[in-house]
This record gives sequence, structure tokens and C-alpha cells, in this order.
Amino acid sequence: MEPYQIYGLASAVLFVIGIAGLFAARHFLKKIIATNIMGGGVFLCFVSFAQRDALAFADPVPHAMVITGIVVAVSSAAFALALTRRINQLTGEESFPNDK
Amino acid sequence: MSVLIDIVLAILAVYLALQSLMAPRLSQSVFLFFAFGLALALTWIRLGAVDVGIAEAAIAAGFLGVLLIDALRDFSPAVSEKQEGADGTSADRSTKDTKSRLLPSLALGLGLGLFLLIAVEAIWHTPKGGGLTALSEAMLAESGVEHPVTAVLLNYRGYDTWLEIGVILMGLLAIFVAGGVEVYRKPRVLVRDPLLRQVILFFTPVLFLFGAFLLYYGKSGPGGAFQAAVLWGATGILLHLGGWPVFAVIPRWLRQLLLTLGLGFFLLLGFAFMAGGAALFEYPPAQAGVLILIVEALAALSIATALAAIFAYFNQMKDEPNEIESTT
Repeated sequence: MEPYQIYGLASAVLFVIGIAGLFAARHFLKKIIATNIMGGGVFLCFVSFAQRDALAFADPVPHAMVITGIVVAVSSAAFALALTRRINQLTGEESFPNDK
Repeated sequence: MSVLIDIVLAILAVYLALQSLMAPRLSQSVFLFFAFGLALALTWIRLGAVDVGIAEAAIAAGFLGVLLIDALRDFSPAVSEKQEGADGTSADRSTKDTKSRLLPSLALGLGLGLFLLIAVEAIWHTPKGGGLTALSEAMLAESGVEHPVTAVLLNYRGYDTWLEIGVILMGLLAIFVAGGVEVYRKPRVLVRDPLLRQVILFFTPVLFLFGAFLLYYGKSGPGGAFQAAVLWGATGILLHLGGWPVFAVIPRWLRQLLLTLGLGFFLLLGFAFMAGGAALFEYPPAQAGVLILIVEALAALSIATALAAIFAYFNQMKDEPNEIESTT
């Protein structure tokens, strides 16, 4: 079993854990964490495929895309956090009203 | 033996992700997510993606972890515990509620199980070959740098990187719009611990130099603009926490200039060479190395400023007591 296969399988599991958490978790912060775990799964899938085609070095294009992706994911998570904290300040809610 | 390490690391990442979503307390969740990010960073290194490992540890685990911990101040642990107790265990839930939740959760579980099977099947049977490794290796001599990932980021796919700097700026503006804090102020709580202040003062130049090293080293090895930017941003955050709110005290025009410098210079450079007949973000091979270094340095400066700005903003969201009264 090659390393990329192990991590490829782990990436699928991580993505599923992320989706399940996104639906099952109530609290805003946990939902944000769940989306980031989903993202981690997708990035892991990319990088393990890059390793699969490695010659002298692993395929650099997925690596660059994942670095870009990580930064974009963190920016959107920071925006989500700002929205969450603002909602909490104004209404005192910690989860969606139809989700209690 | 090495396969064993990979298996343990993969299981660790999955376990930490699961625990981070199932932990009963919010603070546990946040810290386990932090640990999950670090486990993923180790995974990237095992897969030969050291650049991604540095970015993951610094941005996804470090910076996002700091923001999450700062957000924890808003959500009282007592309320969260009560809430988690209500939905975590089904003991105090009425039978009617359980019934209404049973069908959706069953459907979700079945759907996700099916998805997992299909995904595993697809990953297992993806054919080898293809990829752009050979092509990017062949063009490396013309790109002006020696490290393939930096060549992709700043030369082959400069458009992506330019847009990425733009996304960070947009994220910052969106946070400004949504957050409800109107002006940056000096934090009211002064740090009185002299040891902490001295340690931060001692580490500021070290962190700055290390960031500059990563920036320059990106030319020939793992490192580059984003990794350097996070180190510089972390320096700003440390200074802020130590009682020197750098971002809040520098004048407004300087803040705006620093934030837009990277995006603006990159675009100007792209247009300048377009006027000479080249494609957007295409550099002449002779000067590519120097130009990439300048673009990286300015981009790192902008991203570092943006990260410090986001933290300074988040840090003020809690410290605005009369803000809520004025808006409701």
C-alpha cells in the first residue's frame, strides 16, 4: 500500500466527517470548524494525487493550488467568524433558530 | 515501517477531526481543531509538500486557531455546555422530537455512507500518469526561480495568486462591513507583565528576520510569500497582545497603502508587460527572478498587514460595550 492511497482514503473519511458535522452540530463555531475539516479533506485528496505522479518531485501544481486554497478557506472562515460574533452580539443566539 | 507511520498519521488526523466535532465543550472543540491542523501539517510533509505543510501549520492551524480562541470569549462556556447537553445526549429530549429527527439523520447517514463508498472506489481506481510535473520541471529554467511550487505560484499561475491576495483583501473588507466596529482604538487593557513585554520585544526582530529568510528562501526551497506573511502577521499579533497595537496606531492612509500595495503592484506589473505585448502576468525570463522577489515581498507585506488587521478587529469586537446599545 502506497502512502498516497492511505491518505487518499483518509481524505474521503475526513470530508464525510466534515459534512456530517456540518449537519449535526448546532453551535455556529462547530459548523465553521466542520466546514474547515471538509476543506482539509479536499486538500488532502489533492496533495495525495500529486504524490502519485511524482517524478523527481511531486506535482507542484496541486501544491500551489492547495496553498491558495488554504488561504482562501481561512479568509472565508474569518468572515464567517465575524458574522457569527456579530449575530451573537446582536441577538445572543449561538445556533440557528430552526436548529434547536 | 514508513507505511506504519502513514497509517498512524492518517488515523490520528481522522480521530482528531471526529473528536473536535464531538467534544462536549466548545473550548475542547477549538483546541482539538488546532491539533487537527498540526496533524494535517505533518501529513503534508509525509506527502512531500513542505510548502503546504508550513502554510497549513501557520495559517490554517495557527492563525485560524487564534481567531477561534478569540471568538471563544463571546460564547460563554456555561451556555454552550447546557446547549450541548440538550442536543448531545438524547436523554432529556422528548420522544416526539427524537422521532422527527430520526428520519433526517438516517437519510444523512445512508447518503454519507454511499458517498464514502463511491469516493473510496474513485480514489482507489484513479489511473496513474498525467499530472503537470514533467512540464513544470521543463520550464523551470525560464521561470526565474529554482523551486517548482514558487514557480507555479508566482509565474505559471500568477493570476491565481493575484486573485488570492484579492480574496484576502475582500475578506478583510467583508469583516469590516459585518463586524460592527467603527474605528480602531487602542485596547483599554494594558499589559502589566514586564517579562511578557520584554520577551515579545526580544522575539519581534527574530520573527521578522525569519520571515524575511522564508521569503528569500522561497526562490530555491520551501517557503515564499504566504509563509513569510504569516510570520510577519504573527509578529503584529504578538505586539498587539503585548500592548503595542501597531495596526491601530499607524495613520489611516498608511494602513490603506500597506493593505493594497501587494495587489496593486502585482496588477501594475502585469499590465506594464501586457503593454509590451506579453500576456497578463508574464515576465521576461531575464528579469523574472528579481521581479518575482519584489512581487513576493510586497504581497507578503500586504497579507501580513491584512492578517494583523483582522486580528486587531476581532480583538475589538468584544471590547465595545456601548456599541451594542447604539445599534439595537
